[in-house]
Amino acid sequence: MTATFGRFLILASVLVSTTGAFIAYAAGAKRSPEGLRWSQRFAYAFAGLMVLATGVMEYALITHDFGVQYVAHVGSTQVPLWVTIVSLWSSLEGSILFWGFILGIYIAATTWVNRNEHQEYMPFAIGTWLSCGAFFSFLIAGPANPFLSVSPVPLDGPGPNPLLQNHLLMIIHPPMLYLGYVGMTIPFGFAAAALLRGRLGQSFLRPLRASLLLPWVFLTIAIMLGGWWAYEVLGWGGYWAWDPVENASLLPWLTATAALHSAIVMERRGVLKGWTVTLIQASFLLTILGTFMTRSGVFNSVHSFTQSSIGPTILVFLTAILLFSVILLALRIDSLEAEGRIESAVSREGMFLVNNLFFVVFTFTVLVGTVFPLVVEAIKGKQMSVGRPYFDAMVVPVGTALLFLLGVGPALPWGKTNRKEMLRALLPPLITGAIALIIGYAFGIRNAWTLVTLLFGGYAAHVTFAQMWLPLRQRLKKGDSFAPALIDAQLRRGRRRFGGYVVHAGAVIVFVAIAVSSTMRTQEEVTLARGQSTTFAGYAVTFMGTEERAEPHRQSTIARFNISKNGQPVTTMEPRMNQYAAMREPIGTPAVHSTIGRDYYLSIMNIQGDQVGLLIINMPMVGWIWGAVLLMGAGGLIALIPARRRTYVVVPESAPTIDDEAMA
Amino acid sequence: MIATFFLLALLQIKVPDAAQFVGAPKGTPLSGPQLEQQTMVISHELRCPVCQGLAIGDSPSIMASNMKAQVRELLERGYTEEQILSYFEKSYGQFVLLKPKFQGVNALVWILPIAVLAIGFVLVVSKAKKLEVEPVHAAAEEEPADDPYLARVREMVEKP
Repeated sequence: MTATFGRFLILASVLVSTTGAFIAYAAGAKRSPEGLRWSQRFAYAFAGLMVLATGVMEYALITHDFGVQYVAHVGSTQVPLWVTIVSLWSSLEGSILFWGFILGIYIAATTWVNRNEHQEYMPFAIGTWLSCGAFFSFLIAGPANPFLSVSPVPLDGPGPNPLLQNHLLMIIHPPMLYLGYVGMTIPFGFAAAALLRGRLGQSFLRPLRASLLLPWVFLTIAIMLGGWWAYEVLGWGGYWAWDPVENASLLPWLTATAALHSAIVMERRGVLKGWTVTLIQASFLLTILGTFMTRSGVFNSVHSFTQSSIGPTILVFLTAILLFSVILLALRIDSLEAEGRIESAVSREGMFLVNNLFFVVFTFTVLVGTVFPLVVEAIKGKQMSVGRPYFDAMVVPVGTALLFLLGVGPALPWGKTNRKEMLRALLPPLITGAIALIIGYAFGIRNAWTLVTLLFGGYAAHVTFAQMWLPLRQRLKKGDSFAPALIDAQLRRGRRRFGGYVVHAGAVIVFVAIAVSSTMRTQEEVTLARGQSTTFAGYAVTFMGTEERAEPHRQSTIARFNISKNGQPVTTMEPRMNQYAAMREPIGTPAVHSTIGRDYYLSIMNIQGDQVGLLIINMPMVGWIWGAVLLMGAGGLIALIPARRRTYVVVPESAPTIDDEAMA
Repeated sequence: MIATFFLLALLQIKVPDAAQFVGAPKGTPLSGPQLEQQTMVISHELRCPVCQGLAIGDSPSIMASNMKAQVRELLERGYTEEQILSYFEKSYGQFVLLKPKFQGVNALVWILPIAVLAIGFVLVVSKAKKLEVEPVHAAAEEEPADDPYLARVREMVEKP
């Protein structure tokens, strides 16, 4: 019954999205306001069906309705309620349904926000979104249908993949990733609309930029959560292994970041329109490529939990949107071109171009490294690997160049400058860079790349901080009192600028923390008998023994270690080995003791009677990465808060001009 | 494929005859912290054949720890990093090398990104030059004259 109702909803959404897409494109071609209103209704209807279908699936999961195939596949009466709820995205069929759910909400919300605006572009945008919606509805209705019936109805199911059950981050990481991935559909639709209309007016930049920034924020957080999850769960003490699925999440992030930067030049100078649109389309294409990489089973990955037969279908879709984008660009890119020009290449706008170059090279390197083994295997029939040492060697210089630009770019003024002004802008931050370098050296850092990162990081931190508070300083100099100046200059008028520099500040910390945590990490493997202790990186670790704990879905062996420093007890750490009913191999959960400066990480390698094989890792600064990425997300949100409708006032001639260019 | 690796692993828990693969040790035997350090470095350049893309230095699997033990043993006997990598390559195939060699088709994986950087650099420079010298276009009108929406708006606004 539930299954039948679910199937009905999905078929209805195939119908609604297809019809809606046709109506919307027709309305765009004929510039029909009536047609636009109808396409809006279809967009809302699509969203409604998707939300309803997802609600039906959640209901089936929570009530353990094993007559529904997906529930029989991932559900279990033995798992806690939160696992049951998040089971929606624990396996392929459910996660595609969840994709449709988020797509529906995005489409409806964007349609509603712009219901009375940008009427020139909206029909084409809605048409493009609903076309994507039609594809995903088709996927849910056909190759990945979660609503198939099962007969006879089983009494219980196996529950979702154990790796997904053993950390609470699994509640939040996949939705974040989906919000980022699926959200890229919206700017793609806007970009396609600009191309189809053959125009990209100044007023349309705002929804375009906002629609890109929102999924960017989600994707930023999601990538970090994925790394954090790997760090807390997989037990090897790292957060990033250049695994294909990790790369898949990074690729659209890189192009979206590039697009957010080129959009600023577009807004200021009226140039780079075609290029920005291309980057936006690439971001969407890369999300679909990423979905293919994760879901098709052709890549080996620690993050890939579902291997299925939908690969070819996604590949067809990928090819279709690639052709759509390339043809559209080829036909229309000229109609978007330059309204303005750049005064000097050695200026902030020039640095944006270089920034884009490095982001593209970064994207390309990651893409080549990820896809190359597949291509070689397909052509030569030989297996090869491209792994962490390759990516480290290639990406570290590119990342360092980006950090350099993060400092130098915002330091350079817009437009043409003379030599003296330029030196005055570029030289002072070197002092902060040098200080950072000396501090790092004093802490024992000798790795050349890390020292360079500290130099550039200090430089960029100086520039970022100075730029961040520039509007406030100008107000104070003018004689305004502190509080109103703070609120008005930073949070009201200069919010986008301020948000952008908050993102930059976060990025600087991320760069430094990644460099320090990966090069200053030390580790040791030891075997301890009960009562025995070892000293590593300033802590004495004593093995106190093991304890068995039975939970409905798993049996855990918890090893207890007392951690002390100079004879004073610090904490107790309990890494564990979990034996899940549904899996043969046990899965470890490491224990992490975090302090501001470093993480102390214990991971069980094996337990044999009274002996435990233990991996101890000392990782400085690793916790800073999570915090700094959250700061980046917060900066993005600050920049996103919509400005109040513009009101026009007469500005007295003596009013100072604040350089309130928009970041991100 | 994986089954073969497993079999190989079982057969080669002790390093049999490294000499017949890569000849006599060319380096100095290592010990103490230097040995541990170098074992870790090499362990991160070798792929664990039974895991999902992890280096043997990062994998908790039995096979990986056996391979790590082999690396340590070879280092103790004075083999160089190059010899050890080539020993593993000869035993397991190039699949085991996480850092592809600059050789044959595999060289492309190194060359392509650098080529893109070079081409991109030329493009950026020429684009910047073009944008610099190009005369200012008259800014395109914000709305085209024949826009029916705009016409309607005008109509509404201008209505008394």
